Amino acid sequence: MKPFRHQQNPARTASEWFALIRSGEVDARADEEWKEWVDADPGHSKEYEDRELAWEIAADLGESPTIQALLNETDQHSRTSRRRGPVPPSWRLVSWQAFAAAASLVAVGVLAVFWYNRTSTTVNEYATAIGEQKAIALADQSIVTLNTATKVRVLYSRATRRVELLQGEALFAVSKDPLRPFEVHALQGVSTAVGTQFDVRVDERGAAVSVLEGTVIVAPDESAKSAGVSVSAGQGVIYPVGGPVSPPQPADSVRINAWVSHRIVFSDIELADALREYNRYISVPIVLGDPHLGSRHINGVFRIGDEEAFLGALRQGLHLQVTRSDAQIVLTPR
Amino acid sequence: MLQPPQPDIVPREHTDGVERPGTAAAPESVAERHQAYVTLLFNKYRTSVHRYLTRLVPFDDAAELVQETYFRLLRHGELVRVEAMARAFLFQTAANLARDLRRRRASHRADQHVQLDDHDVAEEHQGPDEHLAGEQARALIERAIANLPLDTRTVFLLHRFRDLSYPQIAQITRLSARTVARKMAEAIEQLTLALGQAV
Repeated sequence: MKPFRHQQNPARTASEWFALIRSGEVDARADEEWKEWVDADPGHSKEYEDRELAWEIAADLGESPTIQALLNETDQHSRTSRRRGPVPPSWRLVSWQAFAAAASLVAVGVLAVFWYNRTSTTVNEYATAIGEQKAIALADQSIVTLNTATKVRVLYSRATRRVELLQGEALFAVSKDPLRPFEVHALQGVSTAVGTQFDVRVDERGAAVSVLEGTVIVAPDESAKSAGVSVSAGQGVIYPVGGPVSPPQPADSVRINAWVSHRIVFSDIELADALREYNRYISVPIVLGDPHLGSRHINGVFRIGDEEAFLGALRQGLHLQVTRSDAQIVLTPR
Repeated sequence: MLQPPQPDIVPREHTDGVERPGTAAAPESVAERHQAYVTLLFNKYRTSVHRYLTRLVPFDDAAELVQETYFRLLRHGELVRVEAMARAFLFQTAANLARDLRRRRASHRADQHVQLDDHDVAEEHQGPDEHLAGEQARALIERAIANLPLDTRTVFLLHRFRDLSYPQIAQITRLSARTVARKMAEAIEQLTLALGQAV
């Protein structure tokens, strides 16, 4: 592939150069053309830089659950295609009869799949332990990322995509399929989306729905699905069992983007609230030995799973004494 | 890695990086040639590398990392005399140094996460994630990858995270090598657009 120098769009040309240079196949002539292009306009160098930046930032995502899930999926695809062996180079020359035979097989396959989908629902359950996170790529390319101590049941049929959030919290990156709405059922309520990204969390306060992208319709029970509250990107709502759905408020985006990358962010919140959040990720809870400590404020970014760092910070930053027993970790003033 | 001096046909006076078959051959060591080439490359791209680094680390650190990148390249030994490739290596070195710095900062911050109310360290807390390589940029890129069409995404993932070459990817995906390159271009275009939202 040689980048189209005649193309008037420097952004696209930069992308093509980037892909060519990554291939490592740049000969002297291509290099001369590259120099000509990059020197022609400072904007070209800038466009190229943007691509290098995107490439390098992507490198930091190697451990993200979403990317891991996508990679697993890709690896599986790769394995299947390797098993099938290489394609004969003359595949384009396959005879018409063979094509007709293949076409009828495909037709049978389509009918079978159609029949199967009409009549069946596939059910899968996924769960995480305390402190664990997991991303799952669903059959329609939607991705569900499970936060700590979470359980979901996924029911897909031809007509619906239904996920039941049985406990905990999950982020849904929904692939577009206008004919098959994506529904998340939690505490009798239901959030309906077509193609979007949103987070649902259930705890003792109710079900909280935060929308990061697109629009989600939230109804407190299944019968009122069409009359739900419309929640758009950047907004969130909460509903207790049986409703009603609160008016939209600003979404919890900072917290959600943080947990997806294994982090907990506390920006100037009370210690009592911080512990409630932190305890979701650990099996032995941290509790206050003195209720007055609950109003102390705390700031910081913590890696999920690095409990020692968090406790160390409480010791040093807030001057607390940390006492461990089998059942709990108690904080007292020092 | 320095190598012993070797006779060379490149004239010492050349400063524009273009190798001319010289008749007045002056002896010049590989190390000297390397240094001349790195310096040349560096002078050309210095502004660009600096701007690039300011998007990866806080502004104050960028200038320092520019210098460090230069020294890294000098120490690295011979560079490919294909400018496009050498430039790619230059920027990748800068990005790696930026990544190391961010990691060091993060582990340093881990020691002093929690602050007392009256202990004002807000400025320090705002540090590294203020620039482009922060949380928001990563989230945008991640979403953009997930939203790529299946073939494009497969090509990108295999190249970025499995370090496969285009021919290897072509074999696995049964796409042609040309198509693999085209999909890579498509992928990087989408990711760059997504990143644009963060600026």
